[in-house]
Amino acid sequence: MSPLWATSVLFFSLFLGSHGRPLYPLPSKQQHKEKKALQTSRPYNIAHRGSNGEIPEETAAAYMRAIEEGADFIESDILATKDGQLICFHDVTLDATTDIAKHAKFANRKRTYEVEGSNMTGYFVGKFSCISSTLFFLQVYLDFTLAELKSLGVKQRFSFRDQQYNGKFSIITFEEFIAIALDANRIVGIYPEIKDPVFINQRVKWANGKKFEDKFVETLQKYGYGGAYMSTEWLKQPVFIQSFAPTSLVYISNLTDSPKIFLIDDFDIRTQDTNQSFWEITSDSYLEYIANFVIGIGPWKDTIVPTKNNYLTTPTDLVDRAHAHNLQVHTYTFRNENSYLHFDFHQDPYAEYDYWIKTIGVDGLFTDFTGSVHQYQEWAQASATNEASALGLLHKLALMISSFEGEE
Amino acid sequence: MNPFWATCLILSSLLEGTRGRVLYPLPSKEHKHKQPLQTSRPYNIAHRGSNGEIPEETTDAYKRAIEEGADFIETDILATKDGELICFHDVTLDDTTDIANHTEFSDRKRTYQVQGFNVTGFFVVDFTLDELKSLRVRQRYPFRDQQYNGKFSIITFEEYIAIALDANRVVGIYPEIKNPVFINQHVKWPNGERFEDKFIELLQKYGYGGAYMSAKWLKKPVFIQSFAPTSLIYISNKMDSPKILLIDDFSMATQDTNQSYWEITSDSYFEYIREYVVGIGPWKDTIVPPLNNYLTAPSDLVYRAHAHNLQVHPYTYRNENSFLHFDFRQDPYEEYEYWIKTIGVDGLFTDFTGSLHRYQKCASGILR
Repeated sequence: MSPLWATSVLFFSLFLGSHGRPLYPLPSKQQHKEKKALQTSRPYNIAHRGSNGEIPEETAAAYMRAIEEGADFIESDILATKDGQLICFHDVTLDATTDIAKHAKFANRKRTYEVEGSNMTGYFVGKFSCISSTLFFLQVYLDFTLAELKSLGVKQRFSFRDQQYNGKFSIITFEEFIAIALDANRIVGIYPEIKDPVFINQRVKWANGKKFEDKFVETLQKYGYGGAYMSTEWLKQPVFIQSFAPTSLVYISNLTDSPKIFLIDDFDIRTQDTNQSFWEITSDSYLEYIANFVIGIGPWKDTIVPTKNNYLTTPTDLVDRAHAHNLQVHTYTFRNENSYLHFDFHQDPYAEYDYWIKTIGVDGLFTDFTGSVHQYQEWAQASATNEASALGLLHKLALMISSFEGEE
Repeated sequence: MNPFWATCLILSSLLEGTRGRVLYPLPSKEHKHKQPLQTSRPYNIAHRGSNGEIPEETTDAYKRAIEEGADFIETDILATKDGELICFHDVTLDDTTDIANHTEFSDRKRTYQVQGFNVTGFFVVDFTLDELKSLRVRQRYPFRDQQYNGKFSIITFEEYIAIALDANRVVGIYPEIKNPVFINQHVKWPNGERFEDKFIELLQKYGYGGAYMSAKWLKKPVFIQSFAPTSLIYISNKMDSPKILLIDDFSMATQDTNQSYWEITSDSYFEYIREYVVGIGPWKDTIVPPLNNYLTAPSDLVYRAHAHNLQVHPYTYRNENSFLHFDFRQDPYEEYEYWIKTIGVDGLFTDFTGSLHRYQKCASGILR
């Protein structure tokens, strides 16, 4: 064969190859034209880190299980890698939820940081999150690229939960998380958190002076997320953007009108960016201010109803005041294990849902057990309708009659 | 005053006193038309009362169970040194009472053989009823509510029956003839009567009787349970109340006949025992054996029991995640759903009456 001819053939076949075939929708996705809408008639079932009661947190499998079990929203924590990629991961260290310890080639990445006089050792994804109100050393640096993180296997955080999936799944990116939601056969919302933004921005630099928050919003907008709460646009692709850092939420409110939720930590924790106390950020004046930027707050359960010796004490007025400022309340975190249930609920997670939904009146629940919340809400809805239904009435009549059967 | 006159006065006032006043029902008890026992779905059996919340086998635990919707309140009957029948599960007092704080009894510690094992502790059979009444009950499990520790006492079989009869709806009782071999060895009653005789006498004293689902039974429902088949056979001559044969784990032989699990769950044994009992009460994990805290394939025990017209009431359902196999994702309601809908049992012994009641109420979609 003549070299010139061969080259020409090759050259032209390249053209053919790159010209590509027409893009058509995949058959498996054709019938999802009319997706079942997001429910908006009862408090949101927010799958906290996916269905992590059953499957290791923030993995594709955990999110898909949550969707299967009826989640309204799948929730995630977004951090950034050494090379500026956004991933779904909760901790700044890899020790508790990955098999990092088994990867000998990363053994030299182990770092020790002094935290208030006690040493914390671990493998850091990014920075160490604020768990106390006092200062600690900022000498942190991002240690792993996305490719390196993808080589790790995720494991179940809690030893008393199902361990059978340990090592089977990997860390996913923000984009993969979004794809899971968009791929569902009903409308499923996403609930990503701008996590530890202060320290991420100190550590990771993006091109063109962009910040973590910019990349975060860009990713959402790339996939068509936008629109104010309850707008038609929002209902097609529901999203809540959450963060513990108020300045991040204020900053992005110029970039996107998607609804934002201001997370609030425990009584003794100050905000990482503005160093404000719990009392300041839950005051009426602050709620009035922040209501310009967020549509709700996400407080820790035990600050709404403080506990003593594992019993509930009198509820505070936080929910009432939030509602008075037209702020939703999405509280965290609901777990089935009895060690997390106050004695008032007699080890029954459904009794806890009952209390928070009916007595306290929250608007959303972050839960590790999507299926349980879903089951509870379905039952509550069914019994509410049955009360008025013909069947319920018939049953009531039957009860009245049977009470007269008495003596014979 | 004339002594003779005084004596007459005293005598006649005694007569007046003993003649008594007319007996009329107490106003609070005008419960002529009590809501009947439900019989359309598996029985909610409050195992030792609502002991998930309140120390087991106390008045409060039983009343809470009734409040929460129990169909039956369950108890274990043992006998004291002076032959009184009490509600208590263990043969020793160590785990669920404050016996350790009672120095006056510190010399009563013993070691006895119980069902082939040596057990050391303070035995119920070494204490009179009065002495036991001076003790206070506490919550068995440290991970449950401890706030009632030391507040309640042990109750008698009669007091337990009174709780059931006093309820404002029909509530059944489910007492166990517990450790009869051991009890009959240690406690003697006059006229050659045995533990089982005293047990039956008390039930009959309060009007219990009648075959399962008879009109008489429906007014005062009762199941008599025991691990000892000969006890159940013995009382079947005296009482037609429905009886349940309890079945222990694979490795345990019956205390009276020394028969293995496999023997007493065989088809031929079912055919024999069904003349005397209406059902069996097996341990959950023998019906569906678990492996590494996951369920494996169910055995055919329930199917065969049902084929012999025997009900199945397994024990015990608990909400705590340490008792839940991973298949149930730490959700006790998933466990109820599996046992009621997939396995198809006829009753459930539960430590959490309220949770089972909520499940049954909600799963049927009808409020009760």
